Amino acid sequence: MNVGITSYGTYIPRHRIKIEDIAKAWRKNPEEIVKSLGIAEKSVPAIDEDAVTLALEAAYATLRFPGEKGEIGSLLVGSESHPYAVNPTSTIVGEILGLGNNYLAGDLEFACKAATAGMQLTAGLVSSGQIDSGLVVATDTAQSKPHDALEYTSAAASAAFLIGKNPLATLLSFTSYSSDTPDFWRRDGIRYPSHAGRFTGEPAYFAHVMGAANLLLKKTGIKPKDIKYCVFHMPNAKFPRDVAGRLGFSQEQLDPSLVVDFIGNPYSASSPLGLAAVLDIAGSGEMIFMVSYGSGAGSDAFLWEVNPGIKKIQKFRKEHKQLFSQQVANKSYLDYVGYLKNTDKI
Amino acid sequence: MLGRTGRIVSWTIIRVPPGDFSYQAPYPVAIVKLAGGRKIIAQVVDCETEEIRFGLKVVTVVRRTSRPEVSEVIPYGIKVKPIF
Amino acid sequence: MNIYAIGSGVTKFGELWGTSPRILAKKAFAEALDDAGIPKGRVEALFVGNMLSGILGGQEHLGALFAQELGLNAPAFKIEGACASGGLALHNAVNSVLSNQYQTVAVLGVEKMTDHKPEDVATALMGAGTDVERMSGATFPGLYAILARAHMAEYRTTEEELAGVSVKNHFHASLNPKAQFTLRVTVEQVMKSTLIADPLKLLDCSPISDGAAAVIITSRKPAKKSPKVVASAVATDTLGLAERESLTELAATKKAAKKAFTLAGVSPSDIDIAEVHDCFSIAETLALEDIGFYPKGRAAGAVARGEVTLGSKGLVVNTSGGLKACGHPVGATGVKQVAELIKQLTGKSGRRQVKGAKLGLAQNVGGSGATAVIHILKI
Repeated sequence: MNVGITSYGTYIPRHRIKIEDIAKAWRKNPEEIVKSLGIAEKSVPAIDEDAVTLALEAAYATLRFPGEKGEIGSLLVGSESHPYAVNPTSTIVGEILGLGNNYLAGDLEFACKAATAGMQLTAGLVSSGQIDSGLVVATDTAQSKPHDALEYTSAAASAAFLIGKNPLATLLSFTSYSSDTPDFWRRDGIRYPSHAGRFTGEPAYFAHVMGAANLLLKKTGIKPKDIKYCVFHMPNAKFPRDVAGRLGFSQEQLDPSLVVDFIGNPYSASSPLGLAAVLDIAGSGEMIFMVSYGSGAGSDAFLWEVNPGIKKIQKFRKEHKQLFSQQVANKSYLDYVGYLKNTDKI
Repeated sequence: MLGRTGRIVSWTIIRVPPGDFSYQAPYPVAIVKLAGGRKIIAQVVDCETEEIRFGLKVVTVVRRTSRPEVSEVIPYGIKVKPIF
Repeated sequence: MNIYAIGSGVTKFGELWGTSPRILAKKAFAEALDDAGIPKGRVEALFVGNMLSGILGGQEHLGALFAQELGLNAPAFKIEGACASGGLALHNAVNSVLSNQYQTVAVLGVEKMTDHKPEDVATALMGAGTDVERMSGATFPGLYAILARAHMAEYRTTEEELAGVSVKNHFHASLNPKAQFTLRVTVEQVMKSTLIADPLKLLDCSPISDGAAAVIITSRKPAKKSPKVVASAVATDTLGLAERESLTELAATKKAAKKAFTLAGVSPSDIDIAEVHDCFSIAETLALEDIGFYPKGRAAGAVARGEVTLGSKGLVVNTSGGLKACGHPVGATGVKQVAELIKQLTGKSGRRQVKGAKLGLAQNVGGSGATAVIHILKI
């Protein structure tokens, strides 16, 4: 089964806020905060953007890439900021994209791993021959309570992947690891999430990422030294560096995926955007190891192999100024008041 | 209507908005001539007011148009943003 | 057949907190009836021009309402064309007499706007535009600002020249006891006023007003000398600005004006006095060019130099104070314009009289130029 990514697209909103400006607003020591988080700035949506509009940008960019797409039989959107509690994001996106009516639309939710679950599900639909190809979109305009620690990292971005046959990057194997671990949650009807402090570390992030990663390494028999790049969910700048080291990956293998260093944590789009950033520079024959993490908790692990066709989409994205490196550079800064306005807090 | 490019042929900055749009003001509204000749009217986003000029190249995007009441469906519509 | 305009009445325009639409209508009509010197029973039909009664007041069916209120017991109609409602009401009245259906009919323009929040009025007024314009967050000042900017770019019209429209119209209004604003303004004051929609500022924009105006027309030869309606012409253009061919003219005005001059057998240079639709300063500039009083690009400078101000030789524009200074109760404006012409042509304009005025023209526009109505009166 030669199933994998046949196209992909990304979107980062233009606005940024510097972490030091948030710290100053709350009279914290800016240097300390920036140093401890390892992040200098994060992306902020415009006042009229939401998870739907971000999803559209990434999905449209994905479908714009010329090439055999086959009939799109499914659209799964993963987010933790779907604008409606009841009413699908996926059908709004599907309608505006002009997908017609003959497709499966689904909204997924599982903290930061909503979309990667969608990638596994879609791969299943394609390999079983049920559909030609399926679109998966990761999108978030993450919310955080002012003055809470999460305020420094919660960001906005989207990434979309078309999964089909004869791909630019083949999905060699995947695993998933799940348990009931409430490290970060938001009750129905409540505006801001809560978290369990240090509990979000070892028993949550590390246990599940390592769990899924080790399952995948065992299943495939592959060693980290055979892999060119690795991508992990990035809630901050420290955790992915830490878990990469523990699993036996080097900093060079991890570096190109670290979108968090530039834009913070766009939740469901974190590891998907990291994957896209790596695909933007990867070469044929190289393997990519990717593990997401969703609080509550679970991790999805993937092993990808890049094919020669990747050059075409890299060229296309560059021409349209859509490479991760280009989108990151297209930015304009807000002050803290502008940030509060854009995120609907005042 | 997504991803259509065009150029600004005239514009204004709305400073006294209609009720539904008050939280967005001030904002630019422009007449855009799309590639192909058709003209549309749309809000210009992701752009400082000083950056707007005759002939500015823009692309159509989908954004929320106004803030809905809690019981209402969210309105989405076409706006334009500059292509740099 | 000749159509004579035998009587006119106009209420004070302004923020009339204590005055209802019914009282406004009664006042305007009574004044017109008195001016005409005919018994009420001779009025065979009533044409009402109004835009916002439904959306702001929840009240439709104005024909029946005012027929009853004015004690007319006659056929009655509400006619709507955004800010051209008044002019359109008169056009329909003229046609009803030309068709021989009626001999003597009354036209009433009435609007009550000040009882509502400005944002609600701004939203309601955008009912004159397209749904896409509403969705874009555009306002009426915004649409005309887009026209202003295009005109300024193409013809080098300046903001100071546009301010000259407001200065002139405030001067004229200072001589009109019915006007909303009787204080004069300077170019500097206009330039310093708050931006509403760049480049249009507060003093470039007509106000929100209450008011009513009434006119009585008849095909019966009147006892006293009365002006004749020698042309009543209407044209439409696309509803939305984006779909217009040009952003530096209102084609509907050009079309209607051409028709009107042909009907009347006169040309622009014959007109002594004009009431044009200055909802925003740029609108007067466009009107003077589109009607044919000035070539493209020349009107703004001419107005700023005082060429159409009371006291100058030749054409005088907006002696009532225009929409800017007399006020703009939307449905009443088109009728007030013709009432002003009637007063001028019968020598009853007091301190703002244009001496020897024989031929008058009124231009009434709906929306951002989707409807234009031109009337020419001759004595």
